[in-house]
Amino acid sequence: MTDLLSTFTSLSEKELVALDKACGWSLNAAELAEVQRQFRKMGRQPSRGELETLAQTWSEHCKHKTFSGPVSFKSGGKVKKYKNLFKETIVKATKTLNRKWCLSVFTDNAGIVEFGKSGKWGLAFKAETHNHPCAVEPYGGAETGVGGVVRDILGVGLGAKPVLNTDNFCFGYLDSKKKLPKNSHPPERIMRGVVEGVRDYGNRMGIPTASGGIYFDDGYLLNPLVYVGCAGLIPVDKIGKKVIPGDLIVSIGGRTGRDGIHGATFSSANIDEDTSASAVQIGHAVNEKKTLDVLMRARDLGLYSAVTDCGAGGFSSAIGELGSETGAHVRLENAQLKDTHIEPWEIWVSESQERMILSVPKAKLRKLEAILKAESCEYCVLGTFSGDGSLLVTYGGEKIVDLPMAFLHGGVPNFEKPAVRRNVKISGGNPAKPAKSYGGLLKDVLSHPNVCSRHSVINQYDHEVQGGTVIKPLQGKYGDGPGDAAVIWPQSATLDLNDFSGFAVTHGFNPAAGRIDPYQMALHSVDEAVRNLLCVGAEISRTAILDNFCAASPRDPEVMGDLVLAAEGCHDAAMAYGAPFISGKDSFYNQAKDADGKEYPVPISLLISATAPVEDIRGAITMNYKEAGNPVYLAGVSRRGMGGSVYNDMADSGNNLISPLDMKAAVQLYTAVLKTIKSGCVCAAHDVSQGGLAVTLSEMAFSGGFGADIDLAGAAREEGLSALELLFGESPARLVLEVVKGKEAEFLKLVKGLPVNEIGYVKEDRALEVKDGWSRLFAEDILTLKKSWKRDLI
Amino acid sequence: MKPKAVILRGTGTNCDIETYNSFKYVGAEPELVHINQLLSGEKKVLDYSIMAFPGGFSYGDDISAGKIYAVKMRKLSADFEAFIKDKRPVIGICNGFQILVKTGFLPENKANAQVSTLYTNDCGHFLAKWIKVKINKKSPCIFTKGLPEEIELPIAHGEGKFIVEDKTTMADLVARDLHAMTYSENPNGSMLDIAGITNAAGTCFGLMPHPERNFFAWQNPDRPRSFSAGAAAKGRGKPAAAREAVAAGYQFFKNAVDYVG
Repeated sequence: MTDLLSTFTSLSEKELVALDKACGWSLNAAELAEVQRQFRKMGRQPSRGELETLAQTWSEHCKHKTFSGPVSFKSGGKVKKYKNLFKETIVKATKTLNRKWCLSVFTDNAGIVEFGKSGKWGLAFKAETHNHPCAVEPYGGAETGVGGVVRDILGVGLGAKPVLNTDNFCFGYLDSKKKLPKNSHPPERIMRGVVEGVRDYGNRMGIPTASGGIYFDDGYLLNPLVYVGCAGLIPVDKIGKKVIPGDLIVSIGGRTGRDGIHGATFSSANIDEDTSASAVQIGHAVNEKKTLDVLMRARDLGLYSAVTDCGAGGFSSAIGELGSETGAHVRLENAQLKDTHIEPWEIWVSESQERMILSVPKAKLRKLEAILKAESCEYCVLGTFSGDGSLLVTYGGEKIVDLPMAFLHGGVPNFEKPAVRRNVKISGGNPAKPAKSYGGLLKDVLSHPNVCSRHSVINQYDHEVQGGTVIKPLQGKYGDGPGDAAVIWPQSATLDLNDFSGFAVTHGFNPAAGRIDPYQMALHSVDEAVRNLLCVGAEISRTAILDNFCAASPRDPEVMGDLVLAAEGCHDAAMAYGAPFISGKDSFYNQAKDADGKEYPVPISLLISATAPVEDIRGAITMNYKEAGNPVYLAGVSRRGMGGSVYNDMADSGNNLISPLDMKAAVQLYTAVLKTIKSGCVCAAHDVSQGGLAVTLSEMAFSGGFGADIDLAGAAREEGLSALELLFGESPARLVLEVVKGKEAEFLKLVKGLPVNEIGYVKEDRALEVKDGWSRLFAEDILTLKKSWKRDLI
Repeated sequence: MKPKAVILRGTGTNCDIETYNSFKYVGAEPELVHINQLLSGEKKVLDYSIMAFPGGFSYGDDISAGKIYAVKMRKLSADFEAFIKDKRPVIGICNGFQILVKTGFLPENKANAQVSTLYTNDCGHFLAKWIKVKINKKSPCIFTKGLPEEIELPIAHGEGKFIVEDKTTMADLVARDLHAMTYSENPNGSMLDIAGITNAAGTCFGLMPHPERNFFAWQNPDRPRSFSAGAAAKGRGKPAAAREAVAAGYQFFKNAVDYVG
């Protein structure tokens, strides 16, 4: 192979591709040809280190070539061209909205919005995926996923203090009978590993993991999706960073080892039987905790001028990024190593965890060193940000990389990808009559893996460390009701117990709808997230959102078609809800073959993470019924369509219509409902989502320990709606409200003219009775319903 | 003058800030001090009147929870012993309790030998949930004075099962009511449902649950209707309202400050 390197500029396309495969770069033929052309121009052969650097920097993981590349989308005989899909959809919405409370969007390691009333703080928020590593090594993959996104928050601006972690997982059904390939893990093992990884890392970091979700679908059997997010507080005067030529390059935290070589390039390919677990890094949370403690102190003392994390691509990406305008001279022999058997180029690209790169003015090094020593945190001075615009990496006397920064960051060629609209047959007819009673069906739906209680996972996370999780993932009379959004009161960052500013975080996710209609999926997901924020009483007019796309191979035009439609949906939803995207990430090649050679592509999976301010955390509300005699209202119109529902997953109704979302009506409704919550008229709110209205009514009842008499006759509905659709349909933009007795008049005044109707009242006894006018739908004991719902997932 | 409270931290301590905030709120002058600062002689524990070991995963809880921190304290054991002997209040919460047990300061014994342990929960993993605990009204513990017979607190630990091997030690502990707090429903398999223990003077107290996480009423998972609907709206913008809404955990910290007061 080394001999191939010495004749690199004269290799044929076939030889280049073979070399790429042998080295694990995941560059395509066109990219390899561009690299070759550049070195021909320079009149020399590349070194291994240079090719490794280019492979990392140009990887899908680092450059997001697919999403920010040109796409030609064909739909119903029409063709729409995009030069940069991401910029023309998601970024465009943010730019058009131009909200002044957005302090930093799409440029740094996380998005930042204003926080609180003091004007002193910003809230940084970011979510990432760590899918490929979790498929290969679930525990390590999940741990390092958490570690990575926490470092994004530490590395945004001059560093934010993490105050919340989020986790969203997708697995194959735990009882799936599908045959697996030789080197894949069964879903239960993946799930246990992932949960334990998130638990052990997040708990040790002292960051509450308090918001998330778990979703099962056999599309994730071979490719689990693991979304990890983090939110942190940053002083507004610490948002800017600028490397000053002459600054020292200082690496703090963990040492460098051979773990995680080629993580970035590995996530840019499909997983197969040859995929190696050595591409996954080994996590060590305590090192990262030390790094956090050092950074917060050093930041406040102004001891560095810039910071970023070592993520994919390790030093090569971190130093390459920070030094992109100044240039950098790196002496790899100064690196602290875990392993002496390591090649210089491996030090350069290793993705060993828990490392942050600081740009430190020479005069401030001694003070920084004192803090590092006080916190027992290891570090090394790797070189200087030179100011000559070139990247020079040496090991002793040996030159490892000598490239102009401009080529590194600008050279990557990008080609138009074809996209087509997937052909899905929609049947909007009457759903088939169910074989069971509605009460029986309800118990089945409540125990469905996508609906049932997540307590066995949540209780393993330290979701209340830092003392600020005021609205918890589990809430209500018995501390086990499923909350809509977490509310964080960041006292650990503000150190001010008289400042009651907080923020809410939640998610929207609906891949089942995406299989049928990716555009509506995006709308529904944004709507669900905003509605969840509304349920706790957050300022939804100040919602900021993150997009995290996961998809199968972008070489499949139908996959690209899904992406285009979902991205367009994101744009339209952001505009309608006035909710800008502030950061995002995408992950492709989530596709693998099973033992029979059958392809398992994941369905288009868009996670919307959302945050909004909570003016006064003492006024935030929970989802459980509070008091017998209080009237119950349904807000929103129940619409036709069983598409994407949990019911359809259990027993196909024959109807797969995704009800189109009227976003204008939703915004109008939510604005009024928020007023009713803020004026103290509403004491419990819960959204209608997975499982439908029957699930919402059950959860509110058993989480509060109350029954309810419900008559849906007064509920606003689309014409022709069947009882099945009313109870188990998942049409969006609906929520159930418990109104405080005696405040009904005030409540009704605030929602005048909107589809908000009384449907019954809370009662002391344990029966949940639901009828629709003369027709009695079901009557069940809330303890029986709870028993179906509250089962141990793991 | 405000009593000075030293909040001891080290690598992996992670409940230090909220413990700091809690002491500050009840009128102490808290200070975060790293064990390295004690070892280097930069700070001295005897300069403070209250000492707290907050929760977390000190040194990753490698070997066993709190063990490495306890070993690091050995060099300074004379100072710690003097602090406790002087009946200055010491509270160890969660990992802090584990540290006090691993140092041998709790259960109290002449040799300061480790006579008990906090072992892996019966369920085999970390557990974070709200539970009810009973306060032993006969206990000399100064931290639990004035609390009702049963209160709610969250737990968050993987190693909380309190075990004492020697029967006489346990019998003695119970006979003197040094078990200041017991679980109403045992979450981890602790012997005699023990959640927290004190020394005979009542001034050195270790407990697994987190009082700093139930300091204010709005930290409870069960938000009462009146609180969620009315009280908050009324108190909006008035810092004084916060003081009307303290919860059970507040009392632990207030008691320490009142004691040295």
